[in-house]
Amino acid sequence: MKLLCVDSEPVYQEIVSICAQKEDMEVITASSYDEAIKSYEEHKPDIVTLEVVLQGGSGQELAKRLKALDPERFVPIIFLTSHISDAVMNACFKAGADDFIPKPFNEMLFSTRISTHKRQIHLIQEMYRKNRELTFYQAMIEREHKMAHQVLDHILTRSERPSQKLAITRLSATNFNGDLALACTRSDGARVVFVGDFTGHGLSASIGALPVAQAFFDGVDHHVGLADLAIQLNRILLNILPDYMFCAAYIILIRPSGVIEYWGGGMPNGYIRRADNSVDYIASSHMPLGILGVNEFETSIEIAHIDELDTLVIASDGIVELKNADHEMLGSNAMEALVVSSYADQDLAKAQEAMEAHLAAFQGKSEQLDDITLVAIRKV
Amino acid sequence: MSISVTVNKASNAIELSILGSFDFSLFHDFREAYSGFIGEQHHFIVDLSQVEYLDSAALGMLLSMKNALGEGATIELKGANDFIKNILMISRFDKRFEIR
Repeated sequence: MKLLCVDSEPVYQEIVSICAQKEDMEVITASSYDEAIKSYEEHKPDIVTLEVVLQGGSGQELAKRLKALDPERFVPIIFLTSHISDAVMNACFKAGADDFIPKPFNEMLFSTRISTHKRQIHLIQEMYRKNRELTFYQAMIEREHKMAHQVLDHILTRSERPSQKLAITRLSATNFNGDLALACTRSDGARVVFVGDFTGHGLSASIGALPVAQAFFDGVDHHVGLADLAIQLNRILLNILPDYMFCAAYIILIRPSGVIEYWGGGMPNGYIRRADNSVDYIASSHMPLGILGVNEFETSIEIAHIDELDTLVIASDGIVELKNADHEMLGSNAMEALVVSSYADQDLAKAQEAMEAHLAAFQGKSEQLDDITLVAIRKV
Repeated sequence: MSISVTVNKASNAIELSILGSFDFSLFHDFREAYSGFIGEQHHFIVDLSQVEYLDSAALGMLLSMKNALGEGATIELKGANDFIKNILMISRFDKRFEIR
């Protein structure tokens, strides 16, 4: 380590040099303001000692200059001076001093102070290093989240376009949280919808999405029954996901008659908003996909019914966990009230827009951390 | 450390107590907490009474624990508050764990 000693008196340059060399420091000396700046730029010292009164300028001005020269580096400045009034000491600290030692000084005390500063330099260097590492990892993770979104956007190109019978909203956050919503209408007019939520975030949460989407669209093309579709998706996820990952999901089939068949695992309740403003629920009764082996997996299907102008609304848990500026969660009661008021509109697209506007108003300026998926379905 | 491990000699159970948020940040520590007992002990208790928040990553970690310990082992999840119990029940963890 290098110490720059700035003092116009040769005798002090010598004393400081001897003390600092005992602390294994290489010493550079400067006698004037300009020489100090030149030496600082040339030698990049780790610690600087300064006298208040200097040839060619004041020590305090010099301290400010030196701190500004290399703001990326932490270089302790120790004032070593015979001007020891409180006002001078105060001005020195205000100018950026890290320490203040009055002259004449005790050699042992000087050594102790130097080793304290060395320890602090090491700590701060370590902090800078960790900070660089963190910045690197953060950039990497952001890139992965972008990739995950891209994978998902590709999948969604195969999903059905929104209509007066189907609305899918995806409010994207920087984080990809593993939400997936797919819809497809069969040749017999029945519509099949998948709303899922993979464990985890980022790229790892999206790895299951591609095979699930593939199996979903193939299954719908071939009119595979809901139970068999659930078995297939479960098997795929069991095979490809590690044991600590799974996918909570609703798989829903809506027949033109208004009969709804559904399989639900690990998802919060869905709402059936009736035309008369009342609300019924659909509920998950199974473990999520990708946990249970073939022998244990349960395929029982639940039945519900919707009439003209009833709306089936499914949301990922990101919605009830949405936070406002005061860090309060939306919660399921408020969510239900929003569903009742927003979907009163006979125009599904407008109802969905109203719902989105309410959510945005609740959220205010708080940052949305997770993706949010909101699916609304009416009778075909 | 937000996980503590106690061996209850009387009931011959290993108890893992978790403090604060049970989420992905505990991934390695949680695994470490039980991995030494795999094949040696058969009754485990995960004390959730000091847990304020639990996410789907934690559910995955519990499933992973169940897998690692094998069919012969029982895992009791105890002390969960209503919010957490609701999360466990939505995902039907009662099928794999004893929830008390």
